Amino acid sequence: MLLLGIFIGLGVSICLWLWYSIQFHRYFGRFDYSKRKSFALGWRYKFSRLKERQQCLEQQLFSLQNLLENAPLGYLQVDEENQLLWCNQEACQMLSLEKWQPGQVRLLLEVVRSYELDRLVEKTRDHNSSQQKEWVFHPSCENAEAMLEQKSVVLRATGLPLPQGQVGVFLENRQQLLEISQARDRAFSDLAHELRTPLTSMRLVVETLQDRVDSPIARWVNLLLKEVDRLIDLVQSWLDLTRLESNPATHLKCQPLEIKNLIDSVWESLEPIAQRQKVQLAFTDTDNAWINADKSRLHQVFFNLIHNSIKYSPPNGVVRVEANVNIPLEDKNQIEPESSLLLEINIIDSGVGFAQEDLPHIFQRFYRGDKARSRSIKGEGDSTLDGSGLGLAIVHQILTAHGGTIKAMNHPQTGGAWLQIHLPQVMAKSVVQDYI
Amino acid sequence: MFEITSVKAIVNRPHFIKPKLARDIRRLERDILRMGALVEQSFRLSHQALIARDLSIVKQLPLLEEKIDRFYKQIELECTSIMIVHSPNEQDLRCISAFMQLVRDLERIGDYAEDLSEIAVKLFPYEAHPCIPEIAVMSRHAQAMLATSLGALADLDEVGANSIKSLDDAVDEAYDRVYDTLANQRDIQGSVEPIVLLALAIRCLERMADHATNIGKRVAYIVTGQRT
Repeated sequence: MLLLGIFIGLGVSICLWLWYSIQFHRYFGRFDYSKRKSFALGWRYKFSRLKERQQCLEQQLFSLQNLLENAPLGYLQVDEENQLLWCNQEACQMLSLEKWQPGQVRLLLEVVRSYELDRLVEKTRDHNSSQQKEWVFHPSCENAEAMLEQKSVVLRATGLPLPQGQVGVFLENRQQLLEISQARDRAFSDLAHELRTPLTSMRLVVETLQDRVDSPIARWVNLLLKEVDRLIDLVQSWLDLTRLESNPATHLKCQPLEIKNLIDSVWESLEPIAQRQKVQLAFTDTDNAWINADKSRLHQVFFNLIHNSIKYSPPNGVVRVEANVNIPLEDKNQIEPESSLLLEINIIDSGVGFAQEDLPHIFQRFYRGDKARSRSIKGEGDSTLDGSGLGLAIVHQILTAHGGTIKAMNHPQTGGAWLQIHLPQVMAKSVVQDYI
Repeated sequence: MFEITSVKAIVNRPHFIKPKLARDIRRLERDILRMGALVEQSFRLSHQALIARDLSIVKQLPLLEEKIDRFYKQIELECTSIMIVHSPNEQDLRCISAFMQLVRDLERIGDYAEDLSEIAVKLFPYEAHPCIPEIAVMSRHAQAMLATSLGALADLDEVGANSIKSLDDAVDEAYDRVYDTLANQRDIQGSVEPIVLLALAIRCLERMADHATNIGKRVAYIVTGQRT
């Protein structure tokens, strides 16, 4: 009995040893040691390789950490409970983290009371995808006298999900960039202001001249008048754009509008051009939508967009305008007090569409894309300005002022341009029915 | 009287405390600091509306207030549920009850910030009053007090918490001075509305500073266990 027990014990331990050694071999199988014949030498080789590898990894880790520490971007990392694990010098400076010492694990909110940063971290973790946010960061100040000198900075943070619920955040200081672009826009609008008065006088002079000259010169004067008008339009558009951007709310006169009516009136004014090009309009409005918006501004938006579509459509082409009311799929955490319905309007033509590389930039002011193709690509031109490069920027600004968005794409079926507009403040349908 | 001198110490005692409770208290603290950040933001905005007459930001305040309110209710409910579920010991209970009181103070400061922004809208049509700079100093003091109290809460720093009281005196003095200036104004031409509104504004600021002092006191209570 005793012997049997000993044998069973021995058997079990041999099995276990064999199993462990298989596991061990499997692990070290990654390293190339199989050619070693001697057992003892093989072991030594294994260990030295392992040590080398460890050293190599440690060195790599150290250099990566060093890189991150001295990066010109801010970086910080938090664990699953939003405790700050590590942050580099730049981030310390940006967020004025005087309280935090390296190695200390504290709640991020304890060292920097920024609701936005904390939200970004949470959002990154919840969505498990990279998230970006830009906001004005006000460092908290416990001294009333020093508060006056405290400067707020515009920060852009990019959150990246990491394993085990950790989140890494890159921080960029956007303050300087913002100041520069503001200064540029201010300089431009000052210039536009200064140009407007002499231009108006020039127009008056040219008009007077028009009546007093005879036929061969009159042609030149007419041309001059046309060009002066173009310049006045450009200056006026720039001023409009600046005004809309700086104070959107005061420059909009909102009223209930029926989309069908609006598109009809736009089409009416565009009909002569459309007939010349033999282009048809196909308008569908499934929900018979009404919306609270500035009538003349939206007229300008659709005039510009549909005119562009007509201009780039082939003869006998069709411009499709489709309107419907949607319920947006937006972040539930965000507080949106306004009505949650969105009006979607698609404007689709069958022209050449946008060049792929131009798509991200077409709403920028004076963007012209590839000069060589600029006449054949949609989006550069604009009805009233005919290629001033401001038309789509104005469209974008007007829609932004209404709280809406616009997206430019190429339609997969027609191959032409596809502009998708979303506008909030849709009026209730029951009210709509009562109006009709 | 009490061995434990900070919440951190309570939270970081893995052997004596149920880890779930420690985690819950930590989460609670995080939510309070989030709420605090929002209250600071709304105070900053109302200051800008009142002093810099920037009305474009007034619209944001009700939204912030809504969020603050939601946090207030949520934290209060969480405190209650922790007390019911975990039946915490004396020190934890002290901490949770202080949190409950503290969020009330924070919520009140948020309310007053909204009131200030409404006052700013009503004041807008009138010319800027000569005592506005003094009110600005007063408001900055009150904001510094709020920042100090939240900082003391984050660090559980008793000294910082107690230093708020001296700042409160500065606000009280400013209140008296501005009140005298407003009350003794003679030969008023036109409406007295701006004076009434400014009196209300300094009242709001004084109350906000008081609530910040209260927060400091509650932090000191968490740390020392003594109510002053």
